[in-house]
Amino acid sequence: MRSILFAAVLAALPLAAAHAGEAVEVVTGATASAADVKIAKMKFQTPEVKIKVGETVTWTNTEPLPHNVHFKAGGPVEKDVEGPMLRANQTYSLKFNAPGTYNYICTPHPFMTGKVIVE
Amino acid sequence: MTHAYRSTRHALRTGTALAGAAALAALLLATPVSAAESHGAAMAREAAAHLAAGKEDDPTVVKAPEPNARRVYVYDAKHFAAISQQFIIDGDSARVIGMADGGFMANPVVASDGSFFALANTVFSRIARGQRTDYVEVLDPRTTDPIADIALPDAPRFLVGTYPWMTALTPNNKTMLFYQFSPNPAVGVVDIAGKKFDRLITVPDCYHIFPANDQSFFMHCRDGSLAKVTMGADGKDEVKKTEIFHKESDHLINHPAYSPKNGRLVWPTYTGKLFQIDLSSGDAKFLPTVEALTDEERKDGWAPGGWQQVAYHRATDRIYLLVDQRAPSRHKAPSRFALVIDAKTGKRIKKIELGHEIDSLGVSQDATPQLYALSTGARTLFIFDPETGMETGKVDQLGAGPQVITTADM
Ligand SMILES: [Cu+2]
Repeated sequence: MRSILFAAVLAALPLAAAHAGEAVEVVTGATASAADVKIAKMKFQTPEVKIKVGETVTWTNTEPLPHNVHFKAGGPVEKDVEGPMLRANQTYSLKFNAPGTYNYICTPHPFMTGKVIVE
Repeated sequence: MTHAYRSTRHALRTGTALAGAAALAALLLATPVSAAESHGAAMAREAAAHLAAGKEDDPTVVKAPEPNARRVYVYDAKHFAAISQQFIIDGDSARVIGMADGGFMANPVVASDGSFFALANTVFSRIARGQRTDYVEVLDPRTTDPIADIALPDAPRFLVGTYPWMTALTPNNKTMLFYQFSPNPAVGVVDIAGKKFDRLITVPDCYHIFPANDQSFFMHCRDGSLAKVTMGADGKDEVKKTEIFHKESDHLINHPAYSPKNGRLVWPTYTGKLFQIDLSSGDAKFLPTVEALTDEERKDGWAPGGWQQVAYHRATDRIYLLVDQRAPSRHKAPSRFALVIDAKTGKRIKKIELGHEIDSLGVSQDATPQLYALSTGARTLFIFDPETGMETGKVDQLGAGPQVITTADM
């Protein structure tokens, strides 16, 4: 229920604008990504990506098992950023506004880990 | 929370105190029930004699007898209710001799010398919502009074159907270790002796906690290896992985049996293959695997199933395994049979027909053990003599969905 609500909110609000100024902002709609991370076989297939400040990373789940990306508070991220669960072929994009190393997990599969290095 | 808890306990005590003196005497003795006279009838007879002798009632708070090897703890998570219960049972008399309240999906442990039992607990300020508090409560096994209440910072407990080895005591009973699943795998170290939370040890993607000695414990990892975690002085912890000891297609169950006293880990798969690992040296020694069921039986649909599907008796080196004929993916459904297996040779000694739908097995660790068979559906603990395979007693009305049996290897 909660994730459905979250998805609805995402669709309704221009969240990118709301989050401007924060280290990480959600990007909705068509976007140019500096890095694409595929999720398959219980893994982030590119567990480490390097981008420049202001660039966007897009995650795509390629399997029926839902996954997300979840940045815990700490480091460049002030508050938890818990992405919605992605079903097969759904995507999620984040723009990174500050340099640093951003570690993340998949909420229900904490053994799935990845990082975004923003230079 | 503490105050609310204490007042509840006080109310319970007041209730207990209503027991009359004669009843009290009977409770204290916890004598075996003769076939001819039930415990209730014996109490009534004693109370009548007490009254006839003109003696007054002298209500008091009763204490359970000194713990022994036949003390059985039965934990009832109540099908994921916010409040749970621990029943304390005397196996000899087949009677409840105490109870303790627990929070949401508590993890029970019992000191190997019987000196205390403890629950790693979770409570909320508004029953099932509001402020969450994780804590460890250490209780006196005779009075069930709290000995210690140790807060765990930042709600680190893994909330899951009760797996006994997600929380463990070191052999000296001075340290409790508990598992954290999210946001990263870790093991919390609780100083029971010093009554304080110590630290979280970050671990690889591994599960369960089997203390090999007071300084180190083993875990089972996603890749099929074990991890040995050595707890160093001043937080200098070390993690070392063993070889991969099983295939990805070997599904090891969530309720292995572990005997800290001889370091034996007995770990069945869905099909009844038994992995045995000897951790007594502080290193993992993988023993030859054993098939609990024959090819023929497996073809006929026989497989292990239940909650605590396996028990291990240290002195006789025997394995007890719940089995039945079942459809695939019915591995959590109860079983009606227990296999008795020689752990050394893998030979089947006996197949006990339990006569009930049994979810969990336990065994007392004395020389002539009692086999405990718990039915979650019937909410009853059945007691068997594993030598004869005969049912010798039972304790019913054990809450809403009792699942976990704990005994002490004293
Ligand atoms: Cu995932």
